[in-house]
Amino acid sequence: MDLDYTPSELMATAGARELQDGEVVAVGLGLPVVASFLAKLTHAPNMTILFELGVINPEPIHCGVGLADPRVWYRANVLSSFVDILGAILHKGLVDVGFLGGLETDQYGNLNTTLLGDPRAKFRHFVGSGGANDIASCARRTIIIIRHEERKLKKAVSFITSPGYITGGDSRAQAGLRGGPSRVITDKAIFGFHPETKQMMLLSIHPGNMLDDVLGTMGFTPIVPQHLPYTEPPTQEQLRLIREVIDPQRMYMG
Amino acid sequence: MRKVTTLAEAVASIPSGAHVALSGFAITRCTMAFAREVIRQGIKGLTISQCVGAMDADLLVGAGAVDRLIYGGGSLDRFGRLACVNRGIEEGTLIAEEYSSLSITFRYLAGSLGLPFIPIRSLRGSDLMKRLQEHDASQIAMVNDPFTGEQWLALQPLLPDVAVVQVQTADEEGNAWIMGPKWDNTEQARASKRTIVIAERVVSGEVIRRDPERTVIPSLLVSHVVELPFAAHPTSVYREYDYDAGQIESYVEATRTPEAFRAYLDQYVYGVKDHWEYLERVGGMRHLNSLRADPILGY
Repeated sequence: MDLDYTPSELMATAGARELQDGEVVAVGLGLPVVASFLAKLTHAPNMTILFELGVINPEPIHCGVGLADPRVWYRANVLSSFVDILGAILHKGLVDVGFLGGLETDQYGNLNTTLLGDPRAKFRHFVGSGGANDIASCARRTIIIIRHEERKLKKAVSFITSPGYITGGDSRAQAGLRGGPSRVITDKAIFGFHPETKQMMLLSIHPGNMLDDVLGTMGFTPIVPQHLPYTEPPTQEQLRLIREVIDPQRMYMG
Repeated sequence: MRKVTTLAEAVASIPSGAHVALSGFAITRCTMAFAREVIRQGIKGLTISQCVGAMDADLLVGAGAVDRLIYGGGSLDRFGRLACVNRGIEEGTLIAEEYSSLSITFRYLAGSLGLPFIPIRSLRGSDLMKRLQEHDASQIAMVNDPFTGEQWLALQPLLPDVAVVQVQTADEEGNAWIMGPKWDNTEQARASKRTIVIAERVVSGEVIRRDPERTVIPSLLVSHVVELPFAAHPTSVYREYDYDAGQIESYVEATRTPEAFRAYLDQYVYGVKDHWEYLERVGGMRHLNSLRADPILGY
C-alpha cells in the first residue's frame, strides 16, 4: 500500500489523539514534543505542556537538540525548576499524561532506559532515568512511544527504570503506585492494557501492516482481540502542521 | 570578607575526596572551566552529585578525578551519552548511585531545609530502588506516615561539601542571578555547606539591589566568587552564549578511546595554563563571539 505519510508521522498523530483539551502533559524531546504541539494546535488549545527542568508552555520556533537546549524554552510562560515542575505539579498529582520512551519495554509496560545486558555481570550503560521514573510513578497515566522491534518489545526487560504494571495484576498498587501506562504506540500498532491482568493488548494496527508481522516482531505475545481495527491515519491538516509548523527541519521526525 | 578570587584559588579550596555538587544539566550551564582546573590541580577522589548528569561530571570522571557519582541519569542530549560515566559504571571503576531527577532534587531539598529525611512517591517498584537498597549504608528506607500509617519511601538529605554554580551575574559578595530554568541549582546551593559562584560577569551590588527578585543564591551561602567569561564553554549559558556544537562533537569523538581522550585532555586541559589560554585554544574572541546569544531568543 502506498501511504502519503511516514510511520513517525502516524505515531505523532496517534499520540496527539490520546491528549484531551485542558490536560497537563509532561513531555520529553522527540516524537512526544511533536504529538503534544500537534494536539495543542488542533483539538487541545488549553493543554499545558511541561518540560521537567522547569519549562511551562514554550512556543519554540527552532528545533532543539534536547531539553537542555534554550531553543525549546523559547516564549515559555514559566522558566522555573525541578521542584516546581516535577515536585509541585507532578509529585502533587497534577500531571494527567506523561510521555515516555526507552531502550525496551515488556508486556506490562515496564520501561528500561538504564542498561542492556546482565546488571550483575556484563552490561552496557545508557542514559538512566532523568525525570522518566518520576513521571512513570506520579502521572495519572503514561503513554509509551517506542519502535516496533523484537529487541525493544521484550518478554522481560534487563532493568526496570520506570515501572509500568510490574508483574501484572495489582502488583503496581502493591508497590504503592497509582496510575500506570495507558497506551503503547509503536510504528506498527497501538496497544492498551487488560483491565485486570494488565497485560499488553493490541488495540489497532497501522494501515499497511499485517497482524502476523506485528506479532512476529515482538518478544512476547500480546492479547489480540477478535475485532482489530486499523489505526486512523493522519489527516492532511495534521500532516501540514507537522511538516510546515512543528518540525519543518525534520529534527524530531527523522 | 573579600570573596572575589581567581578560579585557581577557588578550586584550591576543595580538598581531594570532597563531595561537590555541580550546576550543569546535560549541555547547559556546566561548570566546565572549573572541571578543567580541578583536573589541572590533580584533585582526586571526589564525590560528584547533580540531578541530571552533565558534561562537567563526565569530563571529571574521564580524567580520573571522581570516585563516586550520585545522579539521576544523564546524557549530552543529541550529541551523545555520558561516555566516561558509562564506561566507569560498566568497568566498575566508578561507584554510581543512580536515582531519578526528582529524587535527587528532593534529597537536596531536604538538605536545604535541614530535614532528617523526605518522603517521595518516585523510585518504588523500580530496579533503581532495589539497587539503592543494596548499597552499603543505603540512604533510602521505608517509613510509615505517623498520621495515616501509609507506607512511604524516605530519602536521606544530600549535604555536599560545596556547590559549584555557573551563573550569568553576581556581585562581589556572591549574590547571584540565574536566568532561565534553574533545575536543581536553588536547592543544591542551600543543601551544601558553601557555594562557589562562577559568574560570566561580576557587577556592583547596586545592580543586584535594583532587581533583587532575580537573586537565586544569597551571598550568605557563598565562599568564593569567580568572574570568568565563557566559563561554561562548550556548553551554553542562557542569554549569554549558545553551546559550541563543533567542540562538543570533538569531545564526544574523544571519549571513544582512552588514547583519544588523553589527547583531548592534553590539548584542552593540561596543555593550557588557565581558562584564558583555553579560550584562545578553542578559537579566541573571533570564534567565541559567533556563539553570543541573541537578546530576544536567549540562544
